[in-house]
Amino acid sequence: MIYIIDHNDSFTHNVVHQFSLFDKVECDNYNKIDKAKLKKASTIIFSPGPGGPKNYPLTSKIYRKFKGHKKMIGICLGFQQILFCEGANIIEQKKIYHGFQSNIQVINNKSLFRRGQKFKVGRYHSLKLKEPFKKRDFEITMRCLTSKVAMAFENNKDKIYGFQFHPESFLTINGNLLIKKILSA
Amino acid sequence: MNKQNQLAEIDHSGKPYIIYKSKNGFNLFTNFSKKIILNKNNIKNFLRKKYKNNTKNTDLFIGFFGYEILNNLINIKIPRQKNINFPKGIFYKPEKIISLSNNLRYKSDRNSKNSGFKININKKSYTKIFNRFKKKIKKGETYQIKICTKYKTKSKINSLDFFSRLSKTNLAPEAFMIRDKNYSIISCSPENLITKKGSYISTKPIAGTVKKTKALNKIKALNYFKKNLKETKEHNMIVDMERNDLSRICKVRSVKLSKQKIVEEYKDLFHYVSLIKGVLKKDIKNIDIIKAMMPGGSVIGCPKINTLNLLNNQEKVNRNIYTGSFGYIKFNGDMRFNIIIRSILNFKDFSEISVASGVVVDSNAKHEFNENYIKAKALIDLFK
Repeated sequence: MIYIIDHNDSFTHNVVHQFSLFDKVECDNYNKIDKAKLKKASTIIFSPGPGGPKNYPLTSKIYRKFKGHKKMIGICLGFQQILFCEGANIIEQKKIYHGFQSNIQVINNKSLFRRGQKFKVGRYHSLKLKEPFKKRDFEITMRCLTSKVAMAFENNKDKIYGFQFHPESFLTINGNLLIKKILSA
Repeated sequence: MNKQNQLAEIDHSGKPYIIYKSKNGFNLFTNFSKKIILNKNNIKNFLRKKYKNNTKNTDLFIGFFGYEILNNLINIKIPRQKNINFPKGIFYKPEKIISLSNNLRYKSDRNSKNSGFKININKKSYTKIFNRFKKKIKKGETYQIKICTKYKTKSKINSLDFFSRLSKTNLAPEAFMIRDKNYSIISCSPENLITKKGSYISTKPIAGTVKKTKALNKIKALNYFKKNLKETKEHNMIVDMERNDLSRICKVRSVKLSKQKIVEEYKDLFHYVSLIKGVLKKDIKNIDIIKAMMPGGSVIGCPKINTLNLLNNQEKVNRNIYTGSFGYIKFNGDMRFNIIIRSILNFKDFSEISVASGVVVDSNAKHEFNENYIKAKALIDLFK
């Protein structure tokens, strides 16, 4: 079972429908997280949401508790939340991407995806990862072709993944394939 | 008796009635046998009630939900606001429906009176609010937010005269009018929020409007929207948000973007619209649908909950009907609801018109303030 934590977002149920293509999904609001479901889940998803990682201390706690024990995937805010827990700074960016379609590229040999592969993706983010960011086992695997902002990371040792863009958006082409690959990793 | 005379006669009789745009004209609903005034306590019962008789075309409730009661329904608080004590929602059970053509001929000799419209937020305070919200966007607290301004005047008007004139210049697909004893609403809403038939549901958000000119045809309008990055991004966001709201209540794999960013042509305007469809999950009730879809996201901003909270903490005056929904619930469960925008509320010798336009990261306060005025002006001009 996949357990999705909804950070009060207006895109979370698109995420629910996308993951439901592959497995049974349960989704609860951040304020109503169910411990039994967390325990039962094989994969935990941190949804997109307004604000920044500091607004969701409970999610950070869950991440730290299950790191290395369960597969975890962060989308948009969820991506930032995981990196924040790993010591990264999440900062405001000069140019903001809301409802924006961008071209991104796989830039790393250690990715599940072929290096050089390009994707068209939908973006809704005010904040971004401050770089340089270095952390053992964490690899930045995708970047925006124009702004070079980090768009995905993978930690294939602990099975932790994050997307700064929205694989569930109608602006993302082949989003389902991306998710399928991460889920079967 | 011809139908136009019938319309004039119903109007003169003083009986409450409602007019709602249909496919080929208008429907007039009257002879109300029940009137339900909604409040926090009775709305859930109203929405959950089931009816046995559902075969007649009058087996329905028609009316509106105001903005506040839609917030109450999803447990969003509205701090104390200036309030004219207009009902939070009213629904009527009609016993008679008359179909009318698009050409509502009606002439009244009664002149309308008004003392001049006043706006509740001037340009300076608008800019202040605008900049505050822009900061919130930079911090990621909201991605898009619509600031509402309200124009108000003391007035005496003939609602049917207004509505028939309005429908001549702007035959909007979700236009409606309510005339009751102590209030009236005149609206040329273009936006359908819910169309539900059996287990099929659709929503048709509009984000992007441009005025028709001789030089601007449909193809050029499409190019205009496509090239306008701000309109495109706002529209994209609304599409994903509406997909989300439908996904709450629809079956997996059933939510489809059936028309993506097309231009629809109306008498004076082009709208940039999308159509999203889904098939309802088995156990979904109408109350679940209303809670998932209302208030309609395209007039609020995104993400909905946080943005509603930001708006409610900012606004000092009750929105009343504005960004609520008007429509009907049939006894067989089918529904049609719009989003109440481009509307005039007449109550206690006052007329009010609310408008809103979006703050996204690259919008500009002066432009949006003027945009609001242009939207209001089309309705204010009716008072001349």
